[in-house]
Amino acid sequence: MEGRGFEYPTDSVSAPNARLYVTNKSRNYGERGVRITVLDLDSEFYGTFGTFGTSDGKLQSPSAIEATDDGRILVCDDYTHTVNLFDLEGKFLNRWGIYGQGEGELNGPSGLAVDSDNNVYISDTRNHRIQKFNIDGYHIATFGNQGKNNGQFDLPWGISMTPRNTLCIADWGNNRIQELTIDGDVLSVIHNESNPLYELKYPSGAVVDENGLIYISDWGNERVKIINDEGLMIQNLRGEGTISKWAGEFLNTNVEENDARQASNMDIELDFLDDNDPHSESAHIEKYFWSPVSIKLDKFNRVYVTETNRHRIQVYQQT
Amino acid sequence: MVVSDKEEFELRAHLLRRAGFGSTRSELQRQMENSYEDTVEYLLVPNFTDWMGDHIVRRFDGEASGMINAPGASRNWLYRMISTANPLTEKIPLLWHSIFATGVPKVINGRVLFDQINMLRKYGTGRLDDLLLQLSKDPAMIVWLDNQENHRDAMNENWGRELLELFSMGVGNYTEEDVKECARAFTGWTIGNTEYMMVRAKRDSDWPYGRIAYHFEYREDDHDMEERTFLGQKGNFNGQDIIRIICEQESTARFISRHLYHFFVADEAPVPSWSTVAPRDPEAIDQLVQEYFNSDHSITAMLRTLFNSNFFKSQNVRYQKVKGPAEFAATVLRLGGQFNLPNKDMILKYQQIVWMGQELSNPSSVEGWHEGKEWIDTGTLIERINFASDQLSDYENPGVREIVDTLIKDSAGLLSSEETVSNCLAQLGFLEISAETKYILVRYAQKIDDPVSKITGVLRLLTTSREFQLA
Repeated sequence: MEGRGFEYPTDSVSAPNARLYVTNKSRNYGERGVRITVLDLDSEFYGTFGTFGTSDGKLQSPSAIEATDDGRILVCDDYTHTVNLFDLEGKFLNRWGIYGQGEGELNGPSGLAVDSDNNVYISDTRNHRIQKFNIDGYHIATFGNQGKNNGQFDLPWGISMTPRNTLCIADWGNNRIQELTIDGDVLSVIHNESNPLYELKYPSGAVVDENGLIYISDWGNERVKIINDEGLMIQNLRGEGTISKWAGEFLNTNVEENDARQASNMDIELDFLDDNDPHSESAHIEKYFWSPVSIKLDKFNRVYVTETNRHRIQVYQQT
Repeated sequence: MVVSDKEEFELRAHLLRRAGFGSTRSELQRQMENSYEDTVEYLLVPNFTDWMGDHIVRRFDGEASGMINAPGASRNWLYRMISTANPLTEKIPLLWHSIFATGVPKVINGRVLFDQINMLRKYGTGRLDDLLLQLSKDPAMIVWLDNQENHRDAMNENWGRELLELFSMGVGNYTEEDVKECARAFTGWTIGNTEYMMVRAKRDSDWPYGRIAYHFEYREDDHDMEERTFLGQKGNFNGQDIIRIICEQESTARFISRHLYHFFVADEAPVPSWSTVAPRDPEAIDQLVQEYFNSDHSITAMLRTLFNSNFFKSQNVRYQKVKGPAEFAATVLRLGGQFNLPNKDMILKYQQIVWMGQELSNPSSVEGWHEGKEWIDTGTLIERINFASDQLSDYENPGVREIVDTLIKDSAGLLSSEETVSNCLAQLGFLEISAETKYILVRYAQKIDDPVSKITGVLRLLTTSREFQLA
C-alpha cells in the first residue's frame, strides 16, 4: 500500500520541519504497507519512504522513530535489529546495529530517544535493557538487565527525553515507568505500588512536558493517563477519536458505506461483554483508544497518541 | 525401563497426542508422577491458565491483535496452541470449529472469527445447552448462516436447518416443519448495526479505522411470537426453548457422542452418511450417550468417560488418526521452541499450515474440514515434511538444542546409533515406529560421527515417518 493512510502504525515524531513522520509495520510486514508516512497536522500528505526491503534505506519491521534537532530521522527496525538514519526528505544516510546479546548488540529494539548531544538511547527490548550509542552507532553504555528491581526491565518499550534531560522509560512487563539519568541511574519510579489509583497495565510509553505533567500511554488499559508533578492522576482518557480529513474524504466518496454508518449507533452499550476487557471494548467502539503503542510530545506540548489497531493518531493538547 | 513402564509411557503419550499436541519426554515424565486418571483430570479441569499470554501476542504481532483479516486471528490462536500448558483447552475449539464451521469468505472480519473461537474455548466443555445457546448468539455464526436476514415477515431458514442437521441432531431425526419452526424461533436474533456491518463486509472495507467487532442483538420487534410446534412440543417458543428441546433428544446425544469419538478416538464415516452407516464402535457411543444424560449434558463428563475408557486406551486405535495440519504444526512448533516470543516469522509458519491444507479460519465447507486421510496427498505430505524437518533439525531452535544437549550430556557423548534413535523417539513423546523404519534410521545414524549432526539428522528423518503424521 502506498500513499495516504496508516497501516498498523507503531510510532510517530514531530520533526523540526513541523512534519509528522509515522512508522507503519502493516498487517503482514510485507511490500504492501511497511513504510514511513510523512504528513503535517493539517493532514497534508508529503509522501513515503523506508518501504519494505533489505537494501539500504529499506525496512522490514519499523518499530520506533525519533528526530534530531539538526534534521535527521532515526528508525528502529525490530526484525533486523538496526537503527536507520534518513534526512528529512527521506534520503538514506546510514544504518547500524547488529543482532546479539552482548554489549552494543541489539535484540528487537522498540524504543528510541535522542538527547541534546545527539546520543541515542534504545529500548533493547528482548535483551531487557537500555543501550546508549552516539549518532554513528558507537556503543557508549548499557543500563539494566531483566528483573523487577529498580533499574531492571522486562521487555522495555517507549523511551523519551524529559525537559530536565533525563530518560523516561516504559518498563512494559513490570507495569511501571522508570526515570533514569542519561548515565543510567534511577531517579524515580511510577508504579501501582506507589499509587494504586494509577492502575498501570503494560504501559507502552511516557513523556513529560515543560510543566512537569507526565503523559502515559497505558496500553494494557487502552487509556492515556496524565499525572501531575505531585503524583496525582489528573486525567484518565479513554479516547475521543473523530473523523480525520482522510477518513472524511473516504466516506464522502463511498456513499453506501457512509449512509449506513450515519444510520448506525457507533457508541453502543457494552453490556454484552462479560470480561470487562478494555481491549474487547475498544474492538467494538471506534472512538476509543485501541492499542495505543506510542505517545509523543511536540514543542507546542501537543500530545500524539499512535493507535496501531485503529491505524490513526489522536492528537491532544492541554487547555 | 521395565515393560510395564514403557507401556504406561506409551499410553500417556497416546492421551497427550489425542487430548493435546503431543509431548516431550520431560512432559511425559512429569505426568508419570501421577496416575493416568489424574492426568485426565489435569487435562479436563485445568486449575490455571498458563500460556504465552494475550498481552505478549498483541504487543509483538499487530495483526494478531487488530485482526483485520483471518490470518492474524489464526496466528493468535496458534500462539496459544504452541505455548499452552493446558493443551486440551485449545483442542476443544478445534473440535467444535470443525463442527460449527464458519469462515472468512462470508464473515470478512478476523476479530469476529476470533471471538467465536474464544466462545468455543469458554463454553466447549460445559453443558451442550449453553454451548448451543452461545452459538446461536455468536455473530460469526449469525452472519455465516444469514440469520441477520431471518425476519418475522421474511423467514430465512438457513440457521434453523443447519442447527438441526449439522450442529445437533443429524439428518432423519426431524421434519421439514421442524426446520421452519426452528428458524421462526430465531427471528430477530441478529447483530447490531446490521446494515453498516454488512456493507463493510460486502466491500471488505477496513476503512476508515480498521475493523469493528460485531455484537449480538435481539430485536423483539422482529421476532415471530406465534405459538409453534417443534419436535412434538407445543408452546410460545423462543430460541432458547428450541435449544432446550434439542438437547433433550437422544438423537442429539448420539450425534454429539459420535463427533467426540470421531475427533478423539478414531475416524468415523463422513457425517452426511451417519443416518445410514452405523458407528464404528456402537458400544462406545452407547457409553457416551448414557454419560450425556447422566451428567445433564456435560461435555466434560463425556470426555472423562471417553479418555478413561478401554475403547480409547485400546492399541487398536493408536496411530489411527491423521493429525490435522494445525495440530501437526503445533506439535512441531512446541517441540522446536522457536517462538518463546512472537515474531514475524510466524507469518510464514501459518502460511505453511495453509499449504498443508488447513486455513484455520476458512473451513472447506459448511460441514467443516474433510479430515482423516483426506489431509494427506503428495503435495501436503511434502509440505508437512519440509515444515517439520526444518524445525526439528535446526540446532538453533531452543527445543532442539535442549534435546540434543540432553542426549549428549546423559551419554557423555558416547551414544550408539541404536541408542540415538531410541532416545530421539523417547524425546518426541515415545513415538512408536515400525521395525523397518527403525532399521533404516539406525543405518543412517551409523554414517554420521558428529553427535549433534547425528541427533538432528535422526530427528529430521523421524519427521518423515508415517507414524509422525499420525496421532
